[in-house]
Amino acid sequence: MSKSILVVGGGFSGLTAAVEAAEAGYDVYIVEKESYLGGRVAQLNKYFPKLCPPTCGLEINFRRVKTSPRITFYSMAEVQSISGSPGNFKVKLKVNPRFTTPQCTNCKPGEEASTTEVPDQFNFGMSTRKAIYMPHPMAFPNQCVVDAAVAATEEGQNIKAAMPAGHVDLNQKAEVVDLEVGAVIVATGWQPYDPNKMDNLSFSQFDNLITNMMMERLASPSGPTEGKILRPSDQAEPKSVGFVQCAGSRDENHLPYCSYICCMATLKQAMYIREQNPDIEVYIFYIDIRSPGRKYENFYKKVKADDKVHFIKGKVAEVKAGSDGNVILVAEDTIGGGRVEQEVEMGVLATGMQPVGAVSPLPGVKYDSDGFVIPKEGIIPCGCAKRPVDVVSSAQSATAAALKAIQVVRRAG
Amino acid sequence: MAEYKRVEPDLDFIKGVMESGGDTLNRCYQCATCSVVCPLSTPESPFPRKEMLWAQWGLASKVSGDADVWLCHQCGDCTAYCPRGARPGDVLGAIRANAIRYYARPRALAGILSKPSGVLGMVIAGMVLFFVAAALWAKVTGEAFPFPEGYVEYHKFLSVVPIDIVVLPIVGLIAWACYLGVRDFWGDIYRGAGLPLSYNGTASSPSFGILMTRYLWPAIKEILSHERFKKCGQTSERVKGHLWALWAFIILFAVTVYVMIYADVLGNLWPKAGFHTPLPLWHPVKIAGNVGAIMLIAGIWMIKTMRENKTREGILSSSTQDWILIWLIFAVGITGLGAEIIRLAQVKVLAYPVYLVHLGCVITLFVSLPYSKFAHLLYRTTAYVHQHYAEDIRAGKAGFGLEKPGRPAH
Repeated sequence: MSKSILVVGGGFSGLTAAVEAAEAGYDVYIVEKESYLGGRVAQLNKYFPKLCPPTCGLEINFRRVKTSPRITFYSMAEVQSISGSPGNFKVKLKVNPRFTTPQCTNCKPGEEASTTEVPDQFNFGMSTRKAIYMPHPMAFPNQCVVDAAVAATEEGQNIKAAMPAGHVDLNQKAEVVDLEVGAVIVATGWQPYDPNKMDNLSFSQFDNLITNMMMERLASPSGPTEGKILRPSDQAEPKSVGFVQCAGSRDENHLPYCSYICCMATLKQAMYIREQNPDIEVYIFYIDIRSPGRKYENFYKKVKADDKVHFIKGKVAEVKAGSDGNVILVAEDTIGGGRVEQEVEMGVLATGMQPVGAVSPLPGVKYDSDGFVIPKEGIIPCGCAKRPVDVVSSAQSATAAALKAIQVVRRAG
Repeated sequence: MAEYKRVEPDLDFIKGVMESGGDTLNRCYQCATCSVVCPLSTPESPFPRKEMLWAQWGLASKVSGDADVWLCHQCGDCTAYCPRGARPGDVLGAIRANAIRYYARPRALAGILSKPSGVLGMVIAGMVLFFVAAALWAKVTGEAFPFPEGYVEYHKFLSVVPIDIVVLPIVGLIAWACYLGVRDFWGDIYRGAGLPLSYNGTASSPSFGILMTRYLWPAIKEILSHERFKKCGQTSERVKGHLWALWAFIILFAVTVYVMIYADVLGNLWPKAGFHTPLPLWHPVKIAGNVGAIMLIAGIWMIKTMRENKTREGILSSSTQDWILIWLIFAVGITGLGAEIIRLAQVKVLAYPVYLVHLGCVITLFVSLPYSKFAHLLYRTTAYVHQHYAEDIRAGKAGFGLEKPGRPAH
């Protein structure tokens, strides 16, 4: 019997569940597949509706993780198997090597020695990184990573030579870790739905058609444009931006459910744009604006009051090429009547959230047809692994999951 | 104060649409994806999103006054992209089926002809009618009945004179029913389009000549080439079969008219100029007739196969009305060609019964023109004409038939 708790996923939900359970006196393991904690929230520019940066919230959780003697976390790690029963789960992890040591917090010399340059997925490919890199400026743990692809090559040796002695360790091997835990909290979160799947929106054909998560990176001071919203084709400031709501969500052919956050994310991003330049026109094409609760409704009202933000009720079902790298969003204006072909200098697809379980399910966990976790005794989902939610609700469901996990290990013990 | 308008839903209409294949109607949540992906939808008046809402709300008069449902060829593009599985393409098909019933005079006949048993009954009734006519005709000619002596030649059983006596009054009645349906439909779509009325409250009507040259002829040209149908995405393969069947009907109609003039009229009144059926096989008109028959069978078979495939693939759904028309046309084609082959083979006991079945099928197909799915011929053509006309009115180019075709208004 074990009284410890495993949290799969180190995003906002996983961190919250972990610190809540640890601070209640339980040993917690966090398994994170990326090289940093913080998950999708770490990629955001600001939260809605308060418009504060993600460091508020993430940093306090990082500090609670750091200072808690009860929390052990594994980054770059994946769950290989889960067996056993509530109170007595056996979990096998594979922890991949980082090829650096904890004192390696500045990759600069190594970057100069590195010749490989690959798209930086943290910025959705809008920038590149070298074979040694810091995941992002606020990364926790604040430790560089060397690409496994170069570890055994001459380039790897060159990077090692360029870095201070003892910082790079190319002999690190993947480790298998066996854990015994009483309960498993699944906080594997979400990924942006692949916009290429909507063939009528022709995402891959247009440089200046981006996704809402790409917009977060563009608007972020740590992003590829240092927080200036510029269109990818020519790095010019767009004079008009159009948002395509429900790009994949509420659609039987894609994600049959409402992703919950895209409306608020778009309203927030409209604010980013309007704050950057008061002359930019914003067009929002929607089916229904979903801004649940008083705070979100007030936020919507505030954005609606801006006469440069235009709301068109009708889903964009076709995107065409405009002049000069522009895109034309085609919809039916169901209130005004008639077909609308709105040319904008940049288009944003408000793509929805797909649970990670839909793409890489955990062994021993049951999922519904959309990839959300079906809870059972001892396997407790929270955040977006359970249903599509915003950050606030993720934190709430994580706290609830921590309590459930505690109940499971106490019952079993 | 805002004005409130009370919505009075026609529940029977909703039920009717849902029962004729539009059972997915209530899933629509008005995102308007359909109106954008539709290759035939017009920028000023996109469809089928608005029709989905009107049908959901039971606004029967709104839907009946809407020409756009007839501009739809049920490609299934909207259905493929519909995020809710509301299948707008099928719903519009169901709305059209209901509209045909709505404009049918008498409406009861549409009810009978929308069921396979009704159609079968009509075929049998037709056969009985021709059988009785043949029995009476045998008294006039003195031929043996029901199997005339000697070589199999159908005019011995039933020549053109009794056929015309039976058919022509029916043609007249059906033509009248077609006229009533089209007239009512035109009135509804004229009002539905919100086109301006004249000072005395009547609709502006073009002169007959302008109607023909400026509006009907362009519509017919589009139909003959299937210009719009070809734009259909998901089911563009359906076009070929439909085009074959359409041209087959045109050829067979021309042959029928030719035979009627030379055999029915001249053959009896001025035998020197006319002829008696059957025409020899090498005669150009006979060749045209046979080509038409083969094209009709091949075309309808293509339509049938394609519709089966597309139904199986879930791109469109097919209602009883769709299958009735397909099988009825197939029956007309196969019994017609069959009767000719059996006649050439001189199998007497088979020939006359098959000929009788053929006559029953033909008369049923003809009678069903304003009552069955066949009526799409009338209403879609009318909708095309109306669209050209409405464009002119909106552009201020057409008024009261005063302009010469092609000359812009001042």
